[in-house]
Amino acid sequence: MTATAPSYPSVVPDAAPALVLDGITKTYRSKAGGVDALRGVTYHFPRGSFTAVMGPSGSGKSTLLQCAAGLDQPTTGVVVLGGVNLHGLSEVALTKLRREEMGFVFQAYNLLPSLTVYDNVALPLRLTGKRPHRNDILGVLEQVGLSDKVKRRPAELSGGQQQRVAIARALITKPSVFFADEPTGALDSNSSRQVLTLLREATDRAGQTVVMVTHDPVAAAYAERVVFLSDGLIAGHLDRGTPGQIAAAMSDLER
Amino acid sequence: MFFLSRQTVGRHRHLYAGSFVALAVGVFLLGLAATATAATIAYRGPSAGSIAVTTLGGDGMGPQRVSVSTSDQDVSGLQTVLSMVGAISGFITIFVIASTFAFAVASRRRELGLLRLIGATPGQIRRMILGEALVVALGASITGAVLAQLATPLLLAKASYTELAPVKLEPASPWVPLSIAVGIGLLVALLGARAAARRAGKVGAIDALREASLEPPRIGPVRVVFGLLFMAGSIVLLTLIKPSSGEAAVPLAMFTPMLLVISLTLLAPLIVPVLGRLWAAPLVAWTSVSGRLARSNVVAAPRRSASLAAPILTISAIAGSMVLSLSFAADSAAATLRDGMLAPIVVTGGDQAKVAATPGVAAVDAGLPVQFVRVSADYAQLEDAEGIDPAVASRTRRMTPVAGDLTALTGNTVAVSKEMSGFEHYRLGDEVPVTFLDRTTAKLKIVAIVPDAFGINPSFLLPLELARAHAPAAKPERMFVLPATGTDPAELVQRIEGAVPAVAWDAEQTAGVRKGNQLGLILLLGPAALYSAIAIANTLLMGSLQRRQEFVTSRLLGATPNQIRRMVLWESSLVGMVALSLGTAITVTVGVLIRHAMTAGVPDVPVTVPWGILLGIAGLCLTLAVGSALAPTAYILRVVGRETMVHQRQ
Ligand SMILES: Nc1ncnc2c1ncn2[C@@H]1O[C@H](COP(=O)(O)OP(=O)(O)OP(=O)(O)O)[C@@H](O)[C@H]1O
Ligand SMILES: [Mg+2]
Repeated sequence: MTATAPSYPSVVPDAAPALVLDGITKTYRSKAGGVDALRGVTYHFPRGSFTAVMGPSGSGKSTLLQCAAGLDQPTTGVVVLGGVNLHGLSEVALTKLRREEMGFVFQAYNLLPSLTVYDNVALPLRLTGKRPHRNDILGVLEQVGLSDKVKRRPAELSGGQQQRVAIARALITKPSVFFADEPTGALDSNSSRQVLTLLREATDRAGQTVVMVTHDPVAAAYAERVVFLSDGLIAGHLDRGTPGQIAAAMSDLER
Repeated sequence: MFFLSRQTVGRHRHLYAGSFVALAVGVFLLGLAATATAATIAYRGPSAGSIAVTTLGGDGMGPQRVSVSTSDQDVSGLQTVLSMVGAISGFITIFVIASTFAFAVASRRRELGLLRLIGATPGQIRRMILGEALVVALGASITGAVLAQLATPLLLAKASYTELAPVKLEPASPWVPLSIAVGIGLLVALLGARAAARRAGKVGAIDALREASLEPPRIGPVRVVFGLLFMAGSIVLLTLIKPSSGEAAVPLAMFTPMLLVISLTLLAPLIVPVLGRLWAAPLVAWTSVSGRLARSNVVAAPRRSASLAAPILTISAIAGSMVLSLSFAADSAAATLRDGMLAPIVVTGGDQAKVAATPGVAAVDAGLPVQFVRVSADYAQLEDAEGIDPAVASRTRRMTPVAGDLTALTGNTVAVSKEMSGFEHYRLGDEVPVTFLDRTTAKLKIVAIVPDAFGINPSFLLPLELARAHAPAAKPERMFVLPATGTDPAELVQRIEGAVPAVAWDAEQTAGVRKGNQLGLILLLGPAALYSAIAIANTLLMGSLQRRQEFVTSRLLGATPNQIRRMVLWESSLVGMVALSLGTAITVTVGVLIRHAMTAGVPDVPVTVPWGILLGIAGLCLTLAVGSALAPTAYILRVVGRETMVHQRQ
């Protein structure tokens, strides 16, 4: 693993964090009764940081990510993204914020099957009403190593390639925060490395912030800090851990 | 968003092919009805055969000069049928289109969520769906119109010289009628798409991430309220409007089921799961896994199931209601005939003097058929009347007046039926302005209001001399004969030429009514049934083609092709049964209420339920539904097998 520059600014009080979670709880109501997926999470994600979120299955990782990205509303608590409080924003305002400030990479089902790779990447710009510049799009596609697949459709790509298209699509709008939920969950180690390197570069080169949920200690080691979630609460964190240390911390947590 | 619309229409070819076919056929039928109507409007009958009169005016309308056609070279019968065919086709089109679009949106929840996730606003999603609808609707409407134009000469050739239009019809200029049909097609598509688009706009970004693309089971209170309002409205309509004849029952039997269909469709998300569970109970008991799967597929996605059920519900409800109501109308006609007739013998086509001279005949009631143009406040209409001798007629037919006195029926007077007096608010002593076919005008004073007796008395009864004066050439169509006391009617019938017992005559008339109804039903329901058949096949085809991924996954999990086929079989049967139960509920409601209205006060009305036709409709719907769900499934399973089950990610 390439050594990453320790860019985690542990004490920079005056730099506003990219993302603030304050006292987030989330209760899903269903017929079978309520589920407390999050039980009070407070955390600041510094600007330009790469944070991995780990925890046992069902610990609330995906819920945390969805609330942080404004995809779902927390039951209580406040989310502030880039200085904007998400609470009370209209659906349209949220959407605009999402397409300007956030990028998403999920495990699967990320691309529109009817569009070519090129059109998939250009889509967020078109939705914004901007005319996409061909060179910009070819540029990000080159950055993710897919210059030769521009005209393909998602079904004609491997899982890793599809995931890199998704990253290219997230990169094209130059978002300030990336949200990734198990982006390498369905990939082999080689493809995983490519995807993670791309996310790492986003923080190192462009100062973008990455929040990534993962189960894989190797993937988590790309982040400068791993936050552990257990039963809807933050159980601790580990800075600049090796895969081995992270795995050990995880098995401690699961015990 | 238009570029996306273009791309996605291509991707969801089968979803949109479905909408395209449904709309094209709808516009085709509408266009055909419109061009044929244009041909009837363009038709100019012999000008000699019409009478110009001036309406009375009133209700803010001035008197108007109108011309009433009196020749039998009349095309209004065809016009009526065409307008009804147009109404049914239009309604079913709205319905089918709305549900196909709703279905298309429900099937694409995940994709729409993804678009929202990467930054599409609800407004953009709405516009995208509308844009797609517009692309499809434009193509479909124009296709339908072109086909209608091509088929018009054929239809007119068939319709010419028939009972409904005993003349030769020529195609008129197609531009206006076809523009109307295309316009309606586009409007219907956009209305249907608007509802679907609104729902699509509500899809959240998070729907891209949730595993099951299941719809939320919530149903808005507004929807429930409107559903209940429509239901209450149609029931009130049915109980308030009391049709007394088959003719009056037809529009009611056509429009109230439409309202009920709308009502049940609004309430479907509440009703479908309940009915689905009910019908699934035996399936779950009999089958191992396929029945259970079918149940959860139907129950967990009530909106999707409702979309699939919509065309079956619509046609079964409308066709069922009309078939049943008209059969009940014939029952009521039979009872009226039986009750209205006192004379035991009816003579058709005989000579009055000869009949009267036959020994054993006490009296002959030989009414003279006559026509006049009745002038009302804002319209004038050709009416059938009969000149009678009240002294004889009141002994051969039951016509004890509900008001007034028949002995006063002399000179310029008239007796009107109860129904007509109700329609026109006629009261005793009112004067009805009329113009006879010999062009003399008169004011007829109402001296009596008599009970309705369809098939025996027309709505207007005149003194015999008045009828003879204005229609000197008229001959009685049938005579009611009273035997002298002591003469056996059965024996007397033998001795009169053209005589039959009254019972036989009644039966013959009723059979005539049923035959006429049958023709009407075929004319009215034929196109609608054809369209619905296409729509049913269409929606279920769409439904199955959409599930390729699910079938692939099930195969990977070890389900055999047979298990999948069985699941689809049970599922489509379940949807079909749910739709048919609702259709049956509507049919029974409409039938019973219409029957109640028509037979009020008439004892011992026979009950004829056309089981064969009703079960035939149900069976056909079910067969179509199951067949068109299974066929694409078999196809998909074959293709999937060939592809050596490569699991496609997208
Ligand atoms: N839509 C929902 N409705 C009801 N309960 C939910 C819903 N989504 C998640 N949950 C519950 O909330 C809890 C947290 O779920 P979440 O998806 O956040 O877990 P996770 O940490 O992402 O798990 P995994 O590692 O398996 O993805 C779980 O107990 C889950 O069952
Ligand atoms: Mg998760």
